[in-house]
Amino acid sequence: MKTQLFLGAVCALLPSILADRVYACSVCINGPGGARLTDAFNWSVIFLMAMPYTILFSVLGFFFYRYRAAKKARGETAKAPFLPWAWIHKESGR
Amino acid sequence: MAREAVVRKITQPLAGETPIPAFGGGEPPGPPVALSQPIIGNSRLAVLMFLVAEAMFFSGLIGAFIVFRVSSAEWPPPFQPRLPVAVTGVNTAILLLSGLAMHVALRAAHRGKWAPLLRWLSATALLGTIFIVIQGYEWIRLIRYGLTLSSGVYGATFYTLIGCHGAHVLGAMVWLLVVVAQAWKGRFSERNYTGVQLCGMYWTFVVALWPILYALVYLY
Repeated sequence: MKTQLFLGAVCALLPSILADRVYACSVCINGPGGARLTDAFNWSVIFLMAMPYTILFSVLGFFFYRYRAAKKARGETAKAPFLPWAWIHKESGR
Repeated sequence: MAREAVVRKITQPLAGETPIPAFGGGEPPGPPVALSQPIIGNSRLAVLMFLVAEAMFFSGLIGAFIVFRVSSAEWPPPFQPRLPVAVTGVNTAILLLSGLAMHVALRAAHRGKWAPLLRWLSATALLGTIFIVIQGYEWIRLIRYGLTLSSGVYGATFYTLIGCHGAHVLGAMVWLLVVVAQAWKGRFSERNYTGVQLCGMYWTFVVALWPILYALVYLY
C-alpha cells in the first residue's frame, strides 16, 4: 500500500518536476502567444468553440420564430399555455 | 385519444356510464383544448438535424483552413497559381440567384400554383448546373496550371474545402432533379409538398454556405 502511494505521488509530481520538458499540446511548442502558428491555432479553436453555440441558438431561434408564427396564424393574442397538458391545471380548478 | 375519452366521460357521460368526478373538486372542466400542431414536421426536423451535422462538418474544414492560412507567412505560397476571383464572383451571383429561384418556387408551392413551381424549380436546376459547370472548368484550368491536391497545403485546403462544397452542390442537384421530375408528374398537392420543402432547405444551406467559403478561400 505504501509503495503504491509513493509511486502515485511520484507520478503526480513528475509533470511539475519535468515542467520544461512537458507541453500541454504537442503542436503548440513554437513559443509565446505571438508566434504565427500559435495564433493560427488560437483562432481556429475560438472559431470551433463558437460554432456549436451559433448553430444551437440559430436552431432555437428558428423554432421560436415558427412557434410565434403558428400562434399568430391561429389568431391567438392572449397568453396561451405553452405546454399542451396545461388543460389538467384548468380541470383541477386551482 | 385517451385524454379526449376521459374528458368526454367527465363532460358528457353516456346513459349507464358512471360519470367520473372532476379531479380535485372545483368547477367542472370546460371543453377540451384543441391539440396544438407541432411547430415543425418530423421530416423537416430530420433534415434540420442533418444540416446541423453538415454545418459542423464544414466548421471542422474551415477550422483546419484557418490554421494553415493564418500560420503561413505568404498566401498564396510562392510559385502557386492565383485563384480566379472574378469568374468565381460571377459564379457566386449565379448560385445566389438559384437560391432566390428556389425561394420563389417554395412560395409558388405554398400557394398551390404548380406551373410556376415547375418553372422556378427548373430555373434553380439550370442555375445550379451553370455553377457546377463553371466550377469544373475553373478546376481544370487550375490543375493545368499545376495546382493539385498534392501540390502543397494551398492546393490541399482549396480542393478539400471547395471540393466538399462542390460534392454537396452535386448531391443537391440530383435531389433537385428528382423533385423536378415529381413536380412534372404532379405528385405534389397544396396540402403535401414536403418534398419541395426538404429539397429547398438543403439547397438553401448549400447556397448560404458558398459566400462564406468564397470570402474565406478566394478573398481572404
